[in-house]
Amino acid sequence: MLSTKYTEKTKLTKDEIDRKWWEVGDYFRRNSLWLLMYCTGCCAVELPPSMTSAYDMERLGMGPMATPRQADILLVSGYLSLKTLRRLIYTYEQMSEPKYVIGLGSCPINGGIYHDSHAVINQLDQYIPVDVYVAGCMPNPESILNGFVDLMESIKNKTANSWKKYRDNNEWYKQNQKDALGEVIIHDEFHE
Amino acid sequence: MILNILIGIGIAFFGFVLQTSIAGINRKIVGRLQKRHGPRWYQEFIDIFKLLSKRSITHGWIFDFGVIMALGGIIATAMFMPLTNNFLAFENFDNFFIFVYLIAVGMLGMAMSASGSGNPWASIGVMRALTTMLAYEVPFLIVVLTIINLTGNSSLTEIMLYQQASGNNWFLIALPIGGLVGFIALMGMLGKKPFETYVAPAEIASGPMVEYGGKQLGMLFIMNEISAFIEVSLFVHLFLGGATNIFEFLIKYFVVYTLANLISSVNGRFKIDQVVKFFYKWPLIMAVTQAVIAIYFGWVI
Amino acid sequence: MASVELLILFLVGAGVIAYILTRFNTFLGSIFTIFAVMFVFVSLAGYGFGMNMDTTVNILPGISFTETYLGFYFAIIIVFVYLMVSFFHPYYLSEYKYKNSYNLLFLLSLAGILGAFYTDNFLNLFFFFELIIWTTMFLIPQGKSKEAAVSYFGFSIAGSVAMLIGIFITYNVSGTFSIYQGLAALSGTNAIFVFVLFIIAAFAKLGSFPLHIWLPIAHGNAPHPFSPVLSGALVKLGAFIGVLALIRIAPATGLFTAMDLPIGQYVVAILGSMSIVFGTLMAIKEDDAKKLLAYSSMSHGGYILVAFSILNGIAFAGGFYHILAHALASAGAFMAIAAVARATGTTKMKELGGMIHKMPITYLAYLIAIISMAGIPPMGGFISKWLIFQAVIDKGMIFVGIAVFFGSVGSFLYVFRPLAALFLGQELTEYKKVKEAPLLMLIPTFILMGLNVYTGVFPGGILKFINNIIVELGYTGIEVSTYEINGTNGILNPALIGLIFAVGSGIAFLIFIVLKKSRKVELMDTYTAANFVHDEHLLHYAVDFYAPLERLYEKQSNWMTKFYTALAEKVRELGKLGKYLFMSKNISTTVFWIVAIIIFLLWGEVL
Ligand code: SF4
Repeated sequence: MLSTKYTEKTKLTKDEIDRKWWEVGDYFRRNSLWLLMYCTGCCAVELPPSMTSAYDMERLGMGPMATPRQADILLVSGYLSLKTLRRLIYTYEQMSEPKYVIGLGSCPINGGIYHDSHAVINQLDQYIPVDVYVAGCMPNPESILNGFVDLMESIKNKTANSWKKYRDNNEWYKQNQKDALGEVIIHDEFHE
Repeated sequence: MILNILIGIGIAFFGFVLQTSIAGINRKIVGRLQKRHGPRWYQEFIDIFKLLSKRSITHGWIFDFGVIMALGGIIATAMFMPLTNNFLAFENFDNFFIFVYLIAVGMLGMAMSASGSGNPWASIGVMRALTTMLAYEVPFLIVVLTIINLTGNSSLTEIMLYQQASGNNWFLIALPIGGLVGFIALMGMLGKKPFETYVAPAEIASGPMVEYGGKQLGMLFIMNEISAFIEVSLFVHLFLGGATNIFEFLIKYFVVYTLANLISSVNGRFKIDQVVKFFYKWPLIMAVTQAVIAIYFGWVI
Repeated sequence: MASVELLILFLVGAGVIAYILTRFNTFLGSIFTIFAVMFVFVSLAGYGFGMNMDTTVNILPGISFTETYLGFYFAIIIVFVYLMVSFFHPYYLSEYKYKNSYNLLFLLSLAGILGAFYTDNFLNLFFFFELIIWTTMFLIPQGKSKEAAVSYFGFSIAGSVAMLIGIFITYNVSGTFSIYQGLAALSGTNAIFVFVLFIIAAFAKLGSFPLHIWLPIAHGNAPHPFSPVLSGALVKLGAFIGVLALIRIAPATGLFTAMDLPIGQYVVAILGSMSIVFGTLMAIKEDDAKKLLAYSSMSHGGYILVAFSILNGIAFAGGFYHILAHALASAGAFMAIAAVARATGTTKMKELGGMIHKMPITYLAYLIAIISMAGIPPMGGFISKWLIFQAVIDKGMIFVGIAVFFGSVGSFLYVFRPLAALFLGQELTEYKKVKEAPLLMLIPTFILMGLNVYTGVFPGGILKFINNIIVELGYTGIEVSTYEINGTNGILNPALIGLIFAVGSGIAFLIFIVLKKSRKVELMDTYTAANFVHDEHLLHYAVDFYAPLERLYEKQSNWMTKFYTALAEKVRELGKLGKYLFMSKNISTTVFWIVAIIIFLLWGEVL
């Protein structure tokens, strides 16, 4: 039987409304992930097959984009030399939020076969936060696509929060970046 | 008046939904053409809503103002568009030139905003877009000159009715050369592949769109869809006899857009000066020939 | 009652006072000039619209006035442009070498304008034209170069001479110097002669192809506040003569049956089309913002000629409306460029960039002016272009159509270039300290912005006035109601377009505002393929904006200039021959030739 007592209507707070909208947004975001391919290393050769007829990345709603402003995912494919790292960070900071990072191959995880090189960084997540790693040297297209699906899952579970991490721990990241790159004094665009 | 404006907004919204769905279906078709599975048919919607949900950057007030002007101009243009020969928002005011010139407000807004971002690629893209426009507009307008001269009316509804009247053919058949020119110009307007020079993602990093992300890019996508709706509808009304009911319109629309897209997907890209040379060679000669034949000799099938 | 004669005398007197005042204080003299022009404008506007001007002449000898809708329409537009420009004087004059005479000559040329449009006598017309040419000729070299004045003068004189001969032929035929009786009396071959001569005069004044060379030189090098007058006002004199020739004389030559148009008119339309195409192509190529706008004036002059050569009411309405719309638009655009030039000292687009961040109002003024110039709704240029298109299409003029459409789309290209290179783009370091134009200069800017929009949204009233002119010329006017214009093949409702545009922008604004706010970033923080660029100049795309397009007609672009250079060379040689014959050191040669010529002339007379 219905109670005749007056119960206050549960009003959603602003945070809750925001969260609801965010969930709606998450649906769109995970179904339309645009890549910025930062083809740094040899892993990049595995991307064409995963994009074209054989594996067809587009059926997941993914596709390559031209500039960081438009992209959602920064795809780091392979080893990162120090010189590229600087550019990678610049690019990452230009992307609009929410943004995700995927590291391909074993090089960004622990240095891979270049682990003892003086010119290459070993762990990518020391410098920018990474959402998904795809291991392998080089990872085959199946595992790359698997990595994308993992990212979608974690967006759904609200665990793909790397961009928030970068914002919250910005000082730590900046410190690491500086330690690796050193301060540079710039004279003009050709001499850094 | 209020009702008419609401109908107009409805048409613009309908145009957006229609073109976005058909563009999505076409992505699937192209996918199948390339032996791929292709995305979902509503992928374009997801893309746009995703963009609108992101947190973007701005380069100052002109960057935002231009985008608003672009979308506003295009929505305004679409509001004048008749769907069938008796369904339109503002009767008698669907003058052809409104579509050609009011759409230019949108283009100008986008160009302004893109240049305002301070990126050289954006300016290069705008330069190419304008140059392409200079190329395709002239042959197209000559063909339209012929059509208006024959029908004696520049209102789209009247042109439709003229073609539907017994004894008259669709202008695609009545003016076959002109119809071909119109279709080539339509490919240029839509930015389909041989004439896609101003986007050129790999060459100038998607041209005017280079600095956009998030809601501004989303709004430009909406603008792009609505302007495609305007251009394809123009072609349908001018050359294919318009439509007496909405299903006829949908079918003609779908056929025209899909054909343009199929041709696009098997073509490479012209350089910008090749685009200009191309349009000022064959299409222009054909358009003038057609105009002379139709106006001075009166040979209309 | 305002008397034309008194207004002219007032301007002459005011000129003298302005001269004296400027001598003591430039600012004061210029302010006085503003008030003098304002007085003339107000009395003209107050009485002229109802055709209530007093045209009796009491003092000036040998001059007579009459009142026509046609003359008044031109006069009010030109006086208005003069008024707008005079607001700029206080800030520019002090730089000029002969600043005392600047205001004097400015007011004198205005007196000439009033006279030229109100007179009903050919000799008076010629006199006032010469007054305008001579006064403005001394204004132009105050800018940068003397060459500009020379070429302006040369072409103007060529036009005047052609007109003078035409006037004499008319006098010979009709025995009267009265404009309307004289032109009405012409017929047959004489009419064709006078037609050609007047058309030459019109082309020279309007700067139309093939007599256009002076236009960019004079506009580009004239003092900054004078360029708007040249382009917005003075070239319209050519349109006035064009109207006289094309409509009043309209010689009865053969007809093109397909277009139902006399051959003479068709030839003028084709030349006007060449003017459109040529002006557009050259404007696309030009790097100096003022010269670019000068070429655009040339192309718009072509539109006016095309409109007047299609003999029907709707084309005339388009032509007259275009005169107004272009005067407003080009004055607005030139004044915006002048404001930038004052702040930065240059009008070269490759040296400028990012002015919008410091001069937003000037930017808006330029934007609105170019929207009108490109013929995009909801601005005035759209109405006139729409009317002209209607007429061209209705007549089935295909080749003119190509030019008209080409010019119209081409104008998007050239008007956008200063927008992108000069106002938008990277904010260059050297202009970080620039300031917005002072308030007095913003007043005309705002007025012009408002009028550009007004002419585009509510053209009804103005078109009704234009109908009077068309009826006066002997054709039927067009159907206009308060909001709608009835063309031959379609109805236009500019107010509706304006309203819908506002609705559309409102929706777009709503979409924009409900979404998440954007993060502001610096202009230099832009996509560079992850390269670090530290110099704004490297990210500013301004030089050779339309390079791929320019390359296509690079070789052909300067053959007109070459032709005129060769012509000048020939004239110089001729001069040398004359000098050799008559001014040689050997006196007996000179005497011989003079005697020979006298004998030759007498011989002709006696026989
Ligand atoms: S993981 Fe292997 S394939 Fe990939 S970049 Fe490193 S070395 Fe190359």
